[in-house]
Amino acid sequence: MSVRVLPSSLIPSIKIYPKNLWRVLRQYRWVYLLMLPTFVYFVIFKYGPLWNAQIAFKDFKPLLGVLGSPWVGFEHFKTFIDSFYFTQLIRNTLIFSLGKLILGMPIAVICAIALHETWFLRYRTFVQTMIYLPHFLSWVIMFGVLLVLLSPGNGLINEIIVSLGGEPIPFLTSPDTFRWVVILSDIWKETGWSTILYLAALLAISPDLYEAAAVDGATPIQRIRYISLPGILPVIVLITLLRLGHILEAGFNQIFVLYSVPVYSVGDILDTWVYRQGVLNFQFSLATAVGFFKGAIGLVLLLVANRAAKRIAGQSIY
Amino acid sequence: MHTRTRDTVVFQIGIAIFLTIMLFIILIPFWRVIVTAVIPLDIYTRQGVPFFLSPTKWTFEAFKQLLTHSMFPRAALNSVIITVLGTAISLFLTVPLAYGLSIRSLPGRKVIMAFVLIIYLFSPGLIPVYLLITGMKLTNNYLAIILPPAVSVFNTLVMMGFFEGLPEELKESARLDGANELQVLIRIILPLSKPILLTIGLFYAVFYWNEFFTPILYLNDNDLIPLPVLLRNILISASFNEYVEYNAFSSSSLESLKSAGVFITMLPMLLIYPWIQRYFTKGTLVGGVKG
Amino acid sequence: MKKWYIVLIAVLLVLSQILAACAPAATPTAPVVTEPAVVEPAVVEPTKAPEVVPTQPPVEPTAVPEPTKPPEPVDISLWAQATVTEAGAPPDDWIAYKRIRDELNINLDYVIVPTGADGEAKINAVAAANDLPDLFQMVSASGDNRGALKRLVDLGLMAPVDDLMPLMPERVKLHYNDPLAIDLVTFDGKQYGLPEPPPLPRREGLVIRKDWLDKLGLKAPTTPEELLAVAKAFTEQDPDGNGKKDTYGLGGFIVGQGLGNRFDFLTGAYGVPGLWNFIDPANFGLNVRNPEYPKALAFFKSLVDAKVIDPDWPTLTRDDFRARWKQGLFGIMWEDFAALSNKSNYEPFDTIFPNGEWIPVAAPVGPNGDAYYGVYTGRGQIFGISQKAIEAGKGEAIARLLEWMATDGYYLLGFGEEGVNFIIDANGNISTKGLDPAQAYTAAERQPYTQMRNQLVFYNSEQEIAARYPTYNTINGRVMDPMKFLSFFQSQPWVDGRGIQVILPPANAADFDRYYSEGILQFVLGQKELNDTTWAEYLAGLDAVGAAEYEASAKQNLIDAGLLK
Repeated sequence: MSVRVLPSSLIPSIKIYPKNLWRVLRQYRWVYLLMLPTFVYFVIFKYGPLWNAQIAFKDFKPLLGVLGSPWVGFEHFKTFIDSFYFTQLIRNTLIFSLGKLILGMPIAVICAIALHETWFLRYRTFVQTMIYLPHFLSWVIMFGVLLVLLSPGNGLINEIIVSLGGEPIPFLTSPDTFRWVVILSDIWKETGWSTILYLAALLAISPDLYEAAAVDGATPIQRIRYISLPGILPVIVLITLLRLGHILEAGFNQIFVLYSVPVYSVGDILDTWVYRQGVLNFQFSLATAVGFFKGAIGLVLLLVANRAAKRIAGQSIY
Repeated sequence: MHTRTRDTVVFQIGIAIFLTIMLFIILIPFWRVIVTAVIPLDIYTRQGVPFFLSPTKWTFEAFKQLLTHSMFPRAALNSVIITVLGTAISLFLTVPLAYGLSIRSLPGRKVIMAFVLIIYLFSPGLIPVYLLITGMKLTNNYLAIILPPAVSVFNTLVMMGFFEGLPEELKESARLDGANELQVLIRIILPLSKPILLTIGLFYAVFYWNEFFTPILYLNDNDLIPLPVLLRNILISASFNEYVEYNAFSSSSLESLKSAGVFITMLPMLLIYPWIQRYFTKGTLVGGVKG
Repeated sequence: MKKWYIVLIAVLLVLSQILAACAPAATPTAPVVTEPAVVEPAVVEPTKAPEVVPTQPPVEPTAVPEPTKPPEPVDISLWAQATVTEAGAPPDDWIAYKRIRDELNINLDYVIVPTGADGEAKINAVAAANDLPDLFQMVSASGDNRGALKRLVDLGLMAPVDDLMPLMPERVKLHYNDPLAIDLVTFDGKQYGLPEPPPLPRREGLVIRKDWLDKLGLKAPTTPEELLAVAKAFTEQDPDGNGKKDTYGLGGFIVGQGLGNRFDFLTGAYGVPGLWNFIDPANFGLNVRNPEYPKALAFFKSLVDAKVIDPDWPTLTRDDFRARWKQGLFGIMWEDFAALSNKSNYEPFDTIFPNGEWIPVAAPVGPNGDAYYGVYTGRGQIFGISQKAIEAGKGEAIARLLEWMATDGYYLLGFGEEGVNFIIDANGNISTKGLDPAQAYTAAERQPYTQMRNQLVFYNSEQEIAARYPTYNTINGRVMDPMKFLSFFQSQPWVDGRGIQVILPPANAADFDRYYSEGILQFVLGQKELNDTTWAEYLAGLDAVGAAEYEASAKQNLIDAGLLK
């Protein structure tokens, strides 16, 4: 007999009438109780610093403390929005962020599906374990690797180009190629890690569905199209929405290690600018203000994307 | 099982090839790290790191120097403490929240979700957190490293997504049998959530294991520093120190030490994942829903 | 099965509680102490109570029959960078801690601060929390220690040290004896900083591979054009004779703005080394305004175009650069004398190239007869005392500690114990002859015990220098004397650029620096064509980011500090 499996995410929120409210609250009392420690934690350790973050609107003086420092309103925001390179910074940040998302996610999903589908289980375990190793390498190490591959002097790739009769390309110092270096090297490093997540999602899909499909004579491609992909759609949507919420986080650690002055025009992002201008110059208020700015943009994007996701994919966070 | 049509065989071979290619591409940096870590000093100084390493010319000198560093055992132990403690605290705080959020009919769920998302979007930054931690007198304490990042909203929502994906029938049948929500969580949900618990647990563990900036910021006592900080100290000396009249390590090149350090830091995580994988079995729901 | 989870969770909870209680096992003051924190009066009686002004280093006390209870020891926190980062901090049973406690009645909490941006972040964070340590070192990723001090002074977090100077006469004589250095750390008439003597000044210079010159029958270059020619030869004519075209003429990396200070010897040949024009005070301003500057850039560009410079130079770090010259990748470079010639650094190079020899080269003379090696900034370490420390009455104790470091504690902190870690030979030089090698002050195991030496102890005495940079023989028997490089470098024409320490960065420093550097590198790397029009555009753009205002305020800073009329 066929089995119907209904994920709870498809159950719409039930409107509660006041009379039933107490009953429902009593039913869920354990849930609230369990969430209590986390709630307390959030208030202290997440909202606490947010309270301190009001220094973004103040001229913070350590001797006066957070409360005693004078208000300056949006002055810090103006400073960096009006700064010389602001548009360029935003543009670069968005390009990196979106590039990594648009190119990286499909690759990770495909890898996960491939791992999920393969019959050679020992091989699968092996590949699974190996594929996520680059995630553990710091960008400092990756930079060394990239130098070996891409250096115009004696990099492997340039040696191949030269032997084929071409001119060596300075991948790391040319604005034309730097963006690709950043995006592709990030995908290179992080694909394996993302794959873990998607693979776990695939494993949660009931095998009964696959059995039924086999009985119906489905080809592998059909299996993937009609079972695997829809099965992990919630995860994909969730991760996409979350990443859009952090759209202005383009990967400070990576860029900081890889970039250099010749590629500032394409490589300088919001965080690297803040690092040079704010963190090292004692301008904490500025750095905090930029954090708020990022959050505001992310919020807008998240709300818009959430609505779109609800309409298109039937999935949403909110 | 699957019928062995010709399409399927072709498909399987295609997949295998694809995976092998991915494997090779992705492992190039890793391979280079290994080669660099074991390369003898004289070869390195002569020609840098060659792409392919001759199997007869290895040395574990770099590893030896790091592992026999007087502070290494203590730093490694500190890292283990931070990681275990951190992962435990993180999971303890994350699971109930994720579960609560996964119940669509929970009153106030939208408020809680907004509560959580605001934190996700607006990260206060270094100084506000620092002011809070020092205000709580948590300097020189591992909790300063663990508590601020203890709950990752990303991880929470991913876990929530998984809980949501579990069949509602299971919970319903348990409720009909008279179980309250706590029992539903413990008896039904958690056993079925091994993959996600282990995955998120791994995510947290890796995060804590690699933390090095917050330890630098909050720990003053040298006995407390974790492994990444120790390795970083070992490796940045030449970068900033113009007073290079003394070279503490002379039988390995700096590059080798860097790579050996990376490898050592990676090793525990490398070993844990295959062990966890045993629990990632296909069909964790078999036997739960039929009928 | 379900019970298992409950048990697991319970165990984790309990475990986390236990570990949380155990984790902060170490308190800032030495947790593993081999003797109790309170000094046993029967053993040593401090010769002075905290309130007495010490004018001589503590004398070994004779046992006092009826010891009076000494006053409570003063807790002093000292934050400084380590001399040898990888070696870590001294262990808690370090004899210096004991001696400081016994002789000075001070409990010293010594915390090592990381170098660079991490260290700066750490200090900035404690400053923001108004929790600065008592005595600490200014840390700046860009090397602008005075700027770091000034920021803290402006926030009211630092204490004036004028009153403490008379309390440490020996130290002042040896360490704080440069009036200009003191001026630089004086704000509003009060001295706020303790300016430690800079490491040997003007210690970097230009060197070239003599063996390569000999092989190709060339002479060391004296002008930029000759340098280009030699660099070409080094790149194309296989100077190391290994049959492969794998060498470059020039090698380097960028430190600072624009091309960085390591290429100042090239811009100096055109009279425009560094960011600011300190050469012609009447026309003070940015060097890029000088019409010679684009010519200097054009010359540098010709080096890049001719491919005689290691093409990774814009992205290399110091480590990479040093690894490369040791691999024999290039034959002309700018290097620090110690990094070049000191035994431990030279050894790897010597092993592979026993016939390899670097010789110093004089500053190239440009087309107008200008020759400048570089710009001397005079930057050194600066220590400061927090306002909190003074308010807690610790000033006198800190002075006592500093004085001790310059007198009684000098050898202990700088080298170790005489007869165990070092000896003074017949000539008055420091040596390790006859000592157990594992105990010698140069041994790896001893490095944690002398971590303060470069920050607080050494003051460039002759004895020190002889100990730090000894002469030795290379593998093929050549005598290597690092001091020869040093004296050569110091004899070259350097611009006195110490004024740069008083110049305050503009509010949009990051943007200015970026525009400045980006433009220069774009020209040099050929990303933008270099001609009169584009150069004029560059200068105009510089003004758009506030160059003129920056110049005006810089000039005012110099005038205010009395360095410019």
